[in-house]
Amino acid sequence: MSAGSSQQELLERLPVVGQPFGALRDALWQQAYLPADILALCHQRIAQLHGAKVDEVAPEGLALDPDKLAAVPHWPDDSRFSAQERACLAFTEVYVQDCQALSDDQAEAVKAHFGDAGLVALVQALGVLDSLLRLQLMQGAADIQRQESD
Amino acid sequence: MGQRPRVTPPSGGSGHLIRDSALGLVPGVVDALIELNSAVWDARVLSPAEIELARLENAQHSGCVICRAVRYDVAIADGLEEGKVAAIQGGEDPLPLSPREQLIQAFVRQFNLDPGHMPDALRDALAEEFTGDELAHLGLLVAYFSASSRGAVALGGMPAEMPRIEVPIPR
Repeated sequence: MSAGSSQQELLERLPVVGQPFGALRDALWQQAYLPADILALCHQRIAQLHGAKVDEVAPEGLALDPDKLAAVPHWPDDSRFSAQERACLAFTEVYVQDCQALSDDQAEAVKAHFGDAGLVALVQALGVLDSLLRLQLMQGAADIQRQESD
Repeated sequence: MGQRPRVTPPSGGSGHLIRDSALGLVPGVVDALIELNSAVWDARVLSPAEIELARLENAQHSGCVICRAVRYDVAIADGLEEGKVAAIQGGEDPLPLSPREQLIQAFVRQFNLDPGHMPDALRDALAEEFTGDELAHLGLLVAYFSASSRGAVALGGMPAEMPRIEVPIPR
């Protein structure tokens, strides 16, 4: 295993699997049930929970609020985060640390805003984004910067 | 105690295991998921039996009861031994895992428990045993199975227990 691999480089090492994996990741960013900007906040939080920093928090071209992204570590206490964003970030916190600990209430909070399809999209996106980040960490990616945990 | 499902699957069964599940609620994504699932199993890098051992080890970490119960037919045809599964699941009559299989298990454990701190000894042992393509396949398949099994747990509806069941790869 070599260090310094971006997510895309990891996918390109074995295109027969990496290409469809990338297609799944892209489909999750493009789905219509959960806004991509909320997914970006969740992706940021995933990285923080791993004590890492992702190379790209969202696909190029997605308009993101840099101040809000920077505030993600403190989302529970920051009034800038909407009820929709809080529901998804709360779900993300538990999903990353122990998916078995997720509660029905946490799932219902996401569904209240985005319906069953939105919850499915969130669950799948968290899985793909968290797993790809774990893979990068396994590879000792030089561009994943270790940072102090919150 | 089993969980209640947290979402309602789409109506109008297509007969496809994945499309008829809750995952079918997001059509564009489920198409990509089915493609990836096939690609993982059809890659012809790691063997189906090795893929299955990695998948089952991962299921130990996600807590997916269904994942633990399933045995894919291609893995069985490839010679998957139930005693090796018992070694992973803590079942009866375990058979010892080969050194290569132990490394697969160690990789999956590291991925789940502490992906950012792989010991050098493990990294070196993996590089010694597996080719670059095999390591790439192992990483991607573990990433995929981790996402799918945790997804199954997160969406609810998991039974408290489930007997072993042989199934084909959904295509």
